[in-house]
Amino acid sequence: MTERETLKADVPAESLVHQRPTNVLVVGVGGQGVIMISKVLASLSKELGHQVKQSEVHGMAKRGGAVFSHVRFGPAVFSPTIPEGEADILVALEWAEGLRWLPHLKQDSGTFIADTQQIVPPFACRNRSRGADLGYPRETVPDVMEKIANSFALDAVGIATEMGVAKAANTVLLGTLSAALDFPVEAWKSVISEFVPPKTIEANIRAFDAGRDWALSFDRQTHLKDWTGRTVRSPAEVVDSAAGITSTLEITEEWCKGCDICIKFCPERCLAMDARQIAILVDPDRCTGCRICEWLCPDLAITVHTQTNTDSA
Amino acid sequence: MSDVAQSEFNIRKYIREDLFPHFMCPGCGHGIALRALLNAVHNLGIDKNRLAIVSGIGCSGRVGAYIDANTFHTTHGRPLAFATGLKLARPDLEVIVITGDGDCLAIGGNHLIHACRRNLNITCLMLNNEVYGMTGGQVSPTTSTDRFTTTTQSGNYEPVFDACKLAEGAGAAFVGREMTLQTPALRDLIMEAIAHEGFSFVEVLSDCTEVFGRKNDMGDSMEMVLAQKSGFRSNSYGTAVDEPFKPRGMKTGVLHRSERLEYAAAYQQHHAEKSST
Ligand SMILES: Cc1ncc(C[n+]2csc(CCOP(=O)(O)OP(=O)(O)O)c2C)c(N)n1
Ligand code: SF4
Ligand code: SF4
Ligand code: SF4
Ligand SMILES: [Mg+2]
Repeated sequence: MTERETLKADVPAESLVHQRPTNVLVVGVGGQGVIMISKVLASLSKELGHQVKQSEVHGMAKRGGAVFSHVRFGPAVFSPTIPEGEADILVALEWAEGLRWLPHLKQDSGTFIADTQQIVPPFACRNRSRGADLGYPRETVPDVMEKIANSFALDAVGIATEMGVAKAANTVLLGTLSAALDFPVEAWKSVISEFVPPKTIEANIRAFDAGRDWALSFDRQTHLKDWTGRTVRSPAEVVDSAAGITSTLEITEEWCKGCDICIKFCPERCLAMDARQIAILVDPDRCTGCRICEWLCPDLAITVHTQTNTDSA
Repeated sequence: MSDVAQSEFNIRKYIREDLFPHFMCPGCGHGIALRALLNAVHNLGIDKNRLAIVSGIGCSGRVGAYIDANTFHTTHGRPLAFATGLKLARPDLEVIVITGDGDCLAIGGNHLIHACRRNLNITCLMLNNEVYGMTGGQVSPTTSTDRFTTTTQSGNYEPVFDACKLAEGAGAAFVGREMTLQTPALRDLIMEAIAHEGFSFVEVLSDCTEVFGRKNDMGDSMEMVLAQKSGFRSNSYGTAVDEPFKPRGMKTGVLHRSERLEYAAAYQQHHAEKSST
């Protein structure tokens, strides 16, 4: 295998240990351009002489499911994936996905770049386990910016749409990302030009400039002060399990039409269809009382009853 | 609106249980909208005896019949006209209209624009499933481009109405849009719409699984609900212009709010002035 040999040849051995790779994690939902961002970054760093490893998952991509991509570059890169807490930069094309991946960011020095666009995944954005820390995905932009020193939350879709290039929101984010890395601007632009359809090069370069300019002129205080957004919403109403709440599920069998919605949406997979095509609760222990099934049953056949155990303080 | 939910919401208190299971097809989004509406009514503490539900004709119109309140199932396209008369005669009632995209924008489009223009204090929920569900799936003014219906066998080529823009343009005091997938957000939007003084228009993005989803190969119920989220963006952030005639790229949330003089108030003011001179 030549990887080690080339490394030995190019770089003095001891610096390999000290120069850890730069880790960039790009997350979003299908169709937004997560892969495009990571490919541009990977090929740019390769052109500039770095060793690069990139890996991606795009499971439900076509249906708007979660997509993420790891890009690692530096003098020597071994593993293709970024461990939790090790990302130098987290780029989120969708707000809730960004929040979900926050634990991957380096605690004090990590940079968070996020589009405030919300395509709220009904089951991907909340830790529903019993006793879990509540309110995490309800965090608003100011909440997150308060916690993470290097955070940049921008309405990339809005910026791109105003420029008449709604589809180039990902390129706007590339512009913002470029401000956080020290690669030459011209090199970014030439790689982008290779990646986008020829007819859209000019539009994408404008989008890139817009994202970069936004980042360079970014002023935290004004941004926080002028922030008018509302809180993040999800179809799951929180049940405060920390306060000792137990929930029970009631299914009115005569009303169920077997549409499958509750079964497929239940994040804990505790419902199933029986032989009569009626939904039943098969795993009550796993049910967290999140109410997704109740909210989405078109036949009003499910009710989640919650009880507060007042004696448990 | 945070001091809500005095008691736990028990939906059975608000429906006519003897009529259940309801008539709607498996997975039909209108049922989800029904829950959101009833939860909003509960949270606002509206007394059933003071609640009047006026609905038109269509699967959407049938939704009203399941609510245990004063319900008024009217004629196709005319629920807003009935509601206007009702509200003028009984201003003490909370009048909520349930209508469909065909009912409200096609045959009833005329009533919609004038209800918006007058700005009487009623709330209009338009359940938009992009189709005439009840009559077997004909094209409606909101059917997306290229969709197949029984009357657009080679795909729809007609331009699409943006109902919210129409309502805002015609003068509605409150305009909002939400999808059934985001049920709690839909409930909150309906609460805001009811609480707002003047004509409130809410477009509910619903699903017709049976005659629209199947014909368009949109997957099973769960996939149709899930499909709602791609392409919509919440209005909470930014002020980006949305693209007209492209329903699947529309914004959701509160889209417009104004404090224009309400019709009953304008009426009283006018007559007070006339009789004093
Ligand atoms: C005056 C009149 N014209 C036509 C009809 C037939 N008709 C019944 S429901 C309907 C369309 C309903 O579509 P929509 O309002 O979108 O409701 P949905 O069933 O989709 O919820 C039509 C045309 C009628 N009942 N009355
Ligand atoms: S059964 Fe319902 S309440 Fe329980 S976890 Fe599943 S979706 Fe949530
Ligand atoms: S969502 Fe309701 S109607 Fe559909 S399978 Fe579940 S319980 Fe039955
Ligand atoms: S025809 Fe369509 S709109 Fe009507 S009940 Fe069936 S699924 Fe719902
Ligand atoms: Mg319809």
